[in-house]
Amino acid sequence: MLIFRYSARELLRHPARSLLAVLGVAVACAMLLDMLMLGGGLNASFRSLLTSAGYELRVSPAGTLPFDTGATISDAAGVSASLEADPAIAGVAPVLGSNLLAERWASSGETSMDDGPEEEGGAVRLFVLGVDPEEQGLYRLTAGEAPAAGGAVIGLELAEEGVEIGDTLTLRAPASFADAGRRSGRYVVLGIAEFLYSAAGERTAAIPISSLAELTDQPDRASLMMVRLAAGEDPDGVADRLRAEYPGLEIASIGQLVETAARRLSYFRQLAAILGTVSLIVTTLLIGTIMAISINDRYGTIAALRAIGISRRSIVTAFLVESLLLCVAAAVIGLGLGLLVAGQLERILSDFPGLPSAIRFFVFEPDRLAWAAAGVLVAGVGAALVPAIRAMNAPIAATLHREEP
Amino acid sequence: MKVGFVRSGLRRFRVLATAVLVASAPSNVAAQEVHAGGDAPELPDTLTSCPDRLELLVERGLAEQQGIAPGAPVRVGAQPDAPGCHATVAGVFQPEADPSEIARDRRRIILHLPDLAALAGRADEVDRFSVRLADPAEAEELAGRFGSLMPGTRALRAGEVAARASTTFEVVRRFHRAIGLITITAGGVFLACIMTLKVQERRSQVAALRLVGISNRTLLSWLMLEAALVSAIGGVLGIAIGRAASGVINAYYQRVYATTLDFSIVTGETIGIGLALAIVLGLIAGGVGSVRLLQVDALEEVGR
Repeated sequence: MLIFRYSARELLRHPARSLLAVLGVAVACAMLLDMLMLGGGLNASFRSLLTSAGYELRVSPAGTLPFDTGATISDAAGVSASLEADPAIAGVAPVLGSNLLAERWASSGETSMDDGPEEEGGAVRLFVLGVDPEEQGLYRLTAGEAPAAGGAVIGLELAEEGVEIGDTLTLRAPASFADAGRRSGRYVVLGIAEFLYSAAGERTAAIPISSLAELTDQPDRASLMMVRLAAGEDPDGVADRLRAEYPGLEIASIGQLVETAARRLSYFRQLAAILGTVSLIVTTLLIGTIMAISINDRYGTIAALRAIGISRRSIVTAFLVESLLLCVAAAVIGLGLGLLVAGQLERILSDFPGLPSAIRFFVFEPDRLAWAAAGVLVAGVGAALVPAIRAMNAPIAATLHREEP
Repeated sequence: MKVGFVRSGLRRFRVLATAVLVASAPSNVAAQEVHAGGDAPELPDTLTSCPDRLELLVERGLAEQQGIAPGAPVRVGAQPDAPGCHATVAGVFQPEADPSEIARDRRRIILHLPDLAALAGRADEVDRFSVRLADPAEAEELAGRFGSLMPGTRALRAGEVAARASTTFEVVRRFHRAIGLITITAGGVFLACIMTLKVQERRSQVAALRLVGISNRTLLSWLMLEAALVSAIGGVLGIAIGRAASGVINAYYQRVYATTLDFSIVTGETIGIGLALAIVLGLIAGGVGSVRLLQVDALEEVGR
């Protein structure tokens, strides 16, 4: 307790210096926390998003990721039936995706969509998913019912623009100006849903897959198949086996998809690693410098304390406690600051194009908070150790003689 | 979109030339397999309607990956598990360094447009046109009129296309700017701390000089000059480290992505801002510390 009080008093003797040191380390601690959140956040967020649908495997055309290109799986019904016959597979959800133009007819009378950046002659671009309403993992209904024949489910984005259950959407393939009659259709909005993989601001809707196939002239094709495994099956093992059985298809487990996504966004992990390291270096340098100068100022006091019998261990402990107090104060401020900054950085990165809006770059987890605090404390205490030990080894008599006023 | 329809539509405008650019045309072709002759696995029979003398260019990365050289026989098709057509590699091309493609592990081949349309079963279709206008000043007006005159098409000016393609980089730029602000804050506090300590180190010396009659103004100038020098030297060292780091970053990412793009550029403006920030922050921190030091009683400071 005595050591603690001595250390605290020493810090309070130089309030400006101590405050600046705390602020400097707090900013470094905030940066470290943010980088730890960024480094692991994307993977955790992707995994959480992909597993939320309840399908363990994704099947897409060979050489592509789901919806990465316009490529489709041919003989979708045959492939789906063949997969469903596999005892390891509990269900297959085929999905077809296409960008269409949409016009809205309200149940009370004809209106058009609100003007938007993609507005084209009263129509807006809409990403339409063709699904099997009984077996799908792309959306969660928030109101209404699943899309039966002639019906559609719209995303929250369209609902916010005023499209309601009971309205009619006219969907048209963008390239259908030459044969508009054949490649367009009217769909009654039956439900409103949260689309799990929609990007921010993306207008999305779902209709039965057979309707979309007809509308876009893509019979018996699927952009993606989501596969649900039987209980106890190993997703990676099943994916490896199916990949050998279906060489024309890209079959990936959620773990493999997360790895691919992490590779594509590896820049952020590398940046996090570099800036996290820099934060620790800054903490070490700052605490090291502060403590070195503070200890240099007190060589005479240290020598006097040793001369009256205070042990070296007690004095080193006092310096380490001093450093620890600085770091604890900085960590408390820094962790709070880090969480605030992470929110701001997340807002900036939420505009990242092409990523589902549910993806988070900065994911808060208690262990990351603990790691950031521990990193700062260890770096700070470690930095104080060197000048403290050096001061302990200074000769008592010579130091007292030199420091005599 | 249908080529004939759009071309007839374009003729209504004063368009000097229309170029069909659709090398990246039907995206289904992205799923094709390209195999060098001897290594090709067993594939179904070729399409009955394959174009005569089908030739293609292969992107360098794909050619190296598959061991394909000009003259090599390959088989291409719109679907990996569907019939393909025999073709000959006419050459290998190096695509222009494009930041928007950097993270996409997508290899490309180039075919003559009619050949690609036949392979993909999309006769008389393209994904986009590039239009060269007789009078570029009319671009905005024409872009607005295209959409309504040719339903289903969307006309974008080159600048708009570039802006849409660079959204990713705009977001990353804003992110970098935010990170830069945090770094500057941390650096500023660090600098302030160091300068405060540096000035405080001189307290006995400054007190003695004040007692022998050196004016506060002279001492302040001396301390400020020292602060400026320390900051400038630190700034120069920091810039040197930054330049070296920039070189390492470019070397690393150019190798990772097999591109000639520069990922990190140290410009004169960056150097100027860095140096100015270091000196200004150093002067402020040194100035505050010096003024406080000069307000202390000199006699008390020397222990009398």
